[in-house]
Amino acid sequence: MGKPKIGIYGLTGCAGDQLNILNCEDELLKLFDIFEIKSFVMASREKDENVQLDVAFVEGSVSTEKDLEELLAIRKKSKILVAIGHCAIYGGVQAMFRGGEEWIERYKRVYGRENAVTLSKPLEPKPLSAYVKVDAVLHGCPIEKEPFLKLAGKLAHGVIPRTPDYPVCAECRWKENECLLLKGQICLGPLTNAGCGAICPSLNIGCIGCWGPIREENWASEADLLVEKGYDIDEIVTRFSVFGGTERAQKLEQFLRSRKEKGNG
Amino acid sequence: MDKHIFIEPLARVEGHGGIEVYIENDMVKEVKFEIFEGPRLFEQLVVGKDPQEAVAIASRICAICFVSHTLAEIRAIERALDVKVGRKIHLLRKLAHYGEMIESHSLHYYLLALPDYFGYPDAIAMIRQFPDEVIGGLELKKFGNKVMEIVAGRRIHGENLQVGGIGKIPTDEELEWIKLRAMELIPTIERGIQFWNEVDVPDYLEEETIFISVWPEDGTYDFRADTIYVSTGETYAADDYQTALNERVVPHSFAKRCRYKGKPYSVGALARILNMRDRLDGLAADYFKKLYNERWHKNPHFNNIAQAIEILYCLEHIPKLVDEIKATPLEESTRGRDTGAGTGLVEAPRGLLIHHTEMENGRVKYADYLVPTAQNLDDAEKYMRNAVKNLLKQGVQDLELPLEMIARAYDPCISCSVHLVKVIKK
Repeated sequence: MGKPKIGIYGLTGCAGDQLNILNCEDELLKLFDIFEIKSFVMASREKDENVQLDVAFVEGSVSTEKDLEELLAIRKKSKILVAIGHCAIYGGVQAMFRGGEEWIERYKRVYGRENAVTLSKPLEPKPLSAYVKVDAVLHGCPIEKEPFLKLAGKLAHGVIPRTPDYPVCAECRWKENECLLLKGQICLGPLTNAGCGAICPSLNIGCIGCWGPIREENWASEADLLVEKGYDIDEIVTRFSVFGGTERAQKLEQFLRSRKEKGNG
Repeated sequence: MDKHIFIEPLARVEGHGGIEVYIENDMVKEVKFEIFEGPRLFEQLVVGKDPQEAVAIASRICAICFVSHTLAEIRAIERALDVKVGRKIHLLRKLAHYGEMIESHSLHYYLLALPDYFGYPDAIAMIRQFPDEVIGGLELKKFGNKVMEIVAGRRIHGENLQVGGIGKIPTDEELEWIKLRAMELIPTIERGIQFWNEVDVPDYLEEETIFISVWPEDGTYDFRADTIYVSTGETYAADDYQTALNERVVPHSFAKRCRYKGKPYSVGALARILNMRDRLDGLAADYFKKLYNERWHKNPHFNNIAQAIEILYCLEHIPKLVDEIKATPLEESTRGRDTGAGTGLVEAPRGLLIHHTEMENGRVKYADYLVPTAQNLDDAEKYMRNAVKNLLKQGVQDLELPLEMIARAYDPCISCSVHLVKVIKK
């Protein structure tokens, strides 16, 4: 068996996930040695898009028709498609819908009118899974170096890795940090995918949820705690929506308002 | 001869861009620097958010200059809310900013820009011929990242820098490490600067342009100020940025465009170094004097070497900065109001960055961001047009690489790209 053929791609986003791959300064040469890198536009002018790939890593959200065409082409030629980073997995902060307002209205407020830019049709930003099958995910905003290298190592041996499903809160306890929630700060650690090493709580800054909500999160319990600590509903809902999407924030708002009406809030 | 050149995606830049050129009867009809990066509408995303949320969101505009976006947003909000922070916080912010300059410039100079001049598709391919340069570049990049990790909290999107202060102050051991490592790396960047002598700088595009940068009030070479300086001699207060830099939307770009009095202008390391050249000191000033000539005012390729000199400037200033941070006590910050407007002016590695924020009851009511690459697009198009015109005259057929090199010299942060170069002959 030859070297696995891979491609590293970016749709609309900050390019931070690809940048953190380039940030593997000590391992970069090895990476180029283990894999046959067929496309990594951010790093090289040389590429070949006409080959079948064993693995495609894709960062960014689908935010234009061109993004969508590119994603469909990547999916078609790749055995395994890995969504890397918050934008690819959840749509990024740009997929945070606010107040149920239509996306195009917000677009008009920034660009002046609906068809101001004709280069490619803009689409409301969405994660990859809204359009194609995603085989594995690597959380992060951006992804971190160590988990990426571990994932790459497993993929090099033909293994599709499982996604860790414990929260930042667990990592924070391993570090024996003092709990910020108990001190009265908003911290989304209990609801957010781990992997960052509880970096912000370790700096005395409440987790803002940038690695995205974990599966089976208990947001009701955290919301109750925050209400108990004196936060108002708008503050809680806004914080949950930054990296969590509107749908979740709307559910949360309904929950909190119905609690309040019942007199439990 | 009619010709249509379409370079898309543009490689070795941060973001998704392309270049399209139309040639009719051997004359350049149109040159377009296209930005495909989809609209994310950040100015709308921050509305209704509190300072911590707004800063975290603003950071996500760009991975490679997140410190600059963070600092511009913090500065805008602090001015809007009349927040006063002590000197120690300012110094720590400056150290994080230096870290970003070193990381971003070394990535661009060594890994993204230099390979073209020596005929390589990327830095990895260049390593066999120039191992010291490539490895040296990686070492510098790693150091810049480490500084950001220690001071800003992470290599990308660190949240340690906050409105009104900082999450955690780096330890003395960490600060000492930064100081020593900066001193150790000075010979590495000196070698990198000397390497520029091997580069044959293309001259087929040259034309004078306007350079715009910050103008630090304390007379130092710095990356933050409340004044904008134009190389034609005018200065503007930060709050008057809209009068000075006329922003507009064009159909072929999701990034808006800017002009100064109707003319294209340049921002970035070259603009800074030319505008503030009398403020350079130490080895950075020596190397600048040695390498500088009149062509620097007419040719964006010199932005690459300007970046390398700025790396040296930052490394030389880190030891003093670290000593000062350690000797300065932390003061409590104060906040004067909950409603107001403010403009934050900083230099991102690739040029002047402006965040304007209006706050109401402690939350963002309105935001306007003006990023460096949007300001450089018209200037880049001007030089590409010159290049096509002159190269056609010389009978050069292969125009793709020269055009890509011009685009890359601006270190465009389109947030990512090359790909296929398409030449369509009618």
